[in-house]
Amino acid sequence: MKLRVIKGIILKDLREIRREKMALFWIFIFPIMWITLFGSIWGGESPPITLKVGVVYYNESSPFTAYDVVGIMKNVTLEGVPLFKVSEFKNESGAIESLKSGRVDAVVVFSKGFGANVSGGRQAKIYMYFDKTDPQDYQITSGIVKGFFSEFEKEMKKRSLEMQFKYMEAYIPKEIIERHNLTVEQIREYMLASAEPLVIEEKTVEGETATPIQFYVTSFIGIQFLFATMLTIGNGTLEEIEKGTLRRIAASPATAWDFLLGKMLSTFFIIMISIVIGIFYSRLVFGETIYPSFLGWSLIFIASLFSMSLGLSIAMLTRSIKSTTAIVNFISMPLLFLAGIVLPESVLPSWAKPIVNYFPLGRALKDLRLLELYNRPASEIIPDLIWLSLITLGALTIAVLLYNWVVKRLE
Amino acid sequence: MYAVEIKNLKKSYGDFQALKGIDLEVEEGEIFGLLGPNGAGKTTLMRILAEGLKYDEGEIRIFGESISKRTRRLIGYVSQESIAYNLLTVEENLNFYADLYDAPKKKVSELIKRFNLPPKKKAKELSGGFKRRLNLAISLLYDPKILILDEPSTGLDVPSRRKLWEEIKQFKEEGKTILLATHYMEEAEILADRIAIINEGKIIAVGTPKELKEMLGEESIVQVEGLLKGAEKLKNNFPRVLEKENSIRIHVKEPRQALPKIIEILIKEGSQIKAVKVEEPTLEDVFLELTGRGLE
Repeated sequence: MKLRVIKGIILKDLREIRREKMALFWIFIFPIMWITLFGSIWGGESPPITLKVGVVYYNESSPFTAYDVVGIMKNVTLEGVPLFKVSEFKNESGAIESLKSGRVDAVVVFSKGFGANVSGGRQAKIYMYFDKTDPQDYQITSGIVKGFFSEFEKEMKKRSLEMQFKYMEAYIPKEIIERHNLTVEQIREYMLASAEPLVIEEKTVEGETATPIQFYVTSFIGIQFLFATMLTIGNGTLEEIEKGTLRRIAASPATAWDFLLGKMLSTFFIIMISIVIGIFYSRLVFGETIYPSFLGWSLIFIASLFSMSLGLSIAMLTRSIKSTTAIVNFISMPLLFLAGIVLPESVLPSWAKPIVNYFPLGRALKDLRLLELYNRPASEIIPDLIWLSLITLGALTIAVLLYNWVVKRLE
Repeated sequence: MYAVEIKNLKKSYGDFQALKGIDLEVEEGEIFGLLGPNGAGKTTLMRILAEGLKYDEGEIRIFGESISKRTRRLIGYVSQESIAYNLLTVEENLNFYADLYDAPKKKVSELIKRFNLPPKKKAKELSGGFKRRLNLAISLLYDPKILILDEPSTGLDVPSRRKLWEEIKQFKEEGKTILLATHYMEEAEILADRIAIINEGKIIAVGTPKELKEMLGEESIVQVEGLLKGAEKLKNNFPRVLEKENSIRIHVKEPRQALPKIIEILIKEGSQIKAVKVEEPTLEDVFLELTGRGLE
């Protein structure tokens, strides 16, 4: 291995890249564009949502009516944001039509005599309509509407019990209670537990989950593996063949390993600059980012090396810049989504999950996220790093063999 | 011991046989010209020597040693295409190749000075002449004993060509062996100590320019210039006639007797003759004699 040759190739490549406008775009502008775009769309905190609810009720003259419930619905807020935007409909069919056409998210119909029944201590009926076309939307909408009415019902129960206690204290003779070795307080607790057997107290914690910005910084790193790394080394080597300079390099005292090591280190250096720009830009603009640890950088290095081996192999097999670019895009485009690069593994279909786990670039990125976003210990990641290193070594050997095969056949 | 010794060298590209058994010896310190038309096999031969292009059969020795990656360091090769990186400056290109060949760094500044190269100018901004000089400088970085020049003056204007010839002569004075491929007979004639004429992958003659011309014996050349018609008629009367753009060269044994007949035929065919010269044969005439066609 000749260090002077390797240094020469690295410097030559970096100087060429510095003067190549398209390369500068991919190194400096692309990370900024990517982080800005995804940070603006999905970054920051998500405010509570407001549901559009259509209501149908009948005018009544009872002490408490559906009109009062609708009034509460209109005023209920979460973190200062109204929970419902209520639209009143004259009849049920009009409300359902609005639900079908997506103008409202849910319809609540208060039955005739609702107020009279509630006020008279009888059961009162409410009909709820939801659109089940999108299961996730249905889950959220029905959860919120039913949650509201469940809380409302609980409050009604409490008030009804309070009334019952007042009657109990006033009208049940104390001797009867004492005969059964009971206190009024014990009866009160028993009645409360009958009405509400579970007492749920809600507490919140700050979870160790990744923010969208952090997720998209790692996505950007994955994109660099899939496109920039593969194309830089593959097309860079083909350009040397087309120009005739590779023949000269091959005829010089430099070995194939000297040339490839120089090319790979210069490519890694370029990708690293791009990643560092993305990391710091994200911190500067959105206040959030990730700072890869030594193990994180090791994962990035191994993944880059795998990606370079793949790119070089494709280039050596096709021997054409256009074909290499087409094949790299053909492979990388679906992997962008299916290998969990820009979409979280949790939202991928079950058949795509093995790609995340067994395609080395998907696996490396998953490990990087576990390490840097979810603070998993190094001991959990190291076995994967060894597995990735072995796969990469295999890919690199194939790439070098193909390179040697091509160089020997240079005409 | 020869600087370059080649025996029965054969090379094919698929079905096309580029070299059909080349035998050649180049003495140390001489300028050896390889003269032949485009496609004769000159570049293939040079790339085998300098770039390690695979060959099918034969034996090559450089200063007595079988050709290998080690002997290639004894050879500097100036190809027809520029090997400079367009986006790098002259100095950066030289530095890169110096690293590649482990050449001393001081050689870079020496060569920049020697060839009067603009160090900070990018290779893509250089004129054809400067590009050729940069290629030359790159090939001299590691001080090779043999310099192979493939069509070095193609595309150069006359002053640049003359300057290049002076430099080639200077290399010889420095003790280098030079293998010069060209299809310009003037270049071969002025520079080469010995010349091999190559055609269709075969060496058809080797010798000094004088020896090669003597192959034509007592023949002289009648060159007629003008708007000429009747070359076919001339070919019926004289066996070797070479047609060029505005002239015809006719090989004759007795110019005094042949001249009136030549003029008669041309005028009869409607030619407008501007000048008639009787010349000594050139290497191109030798090539015509040997192959029946011109060099270009």
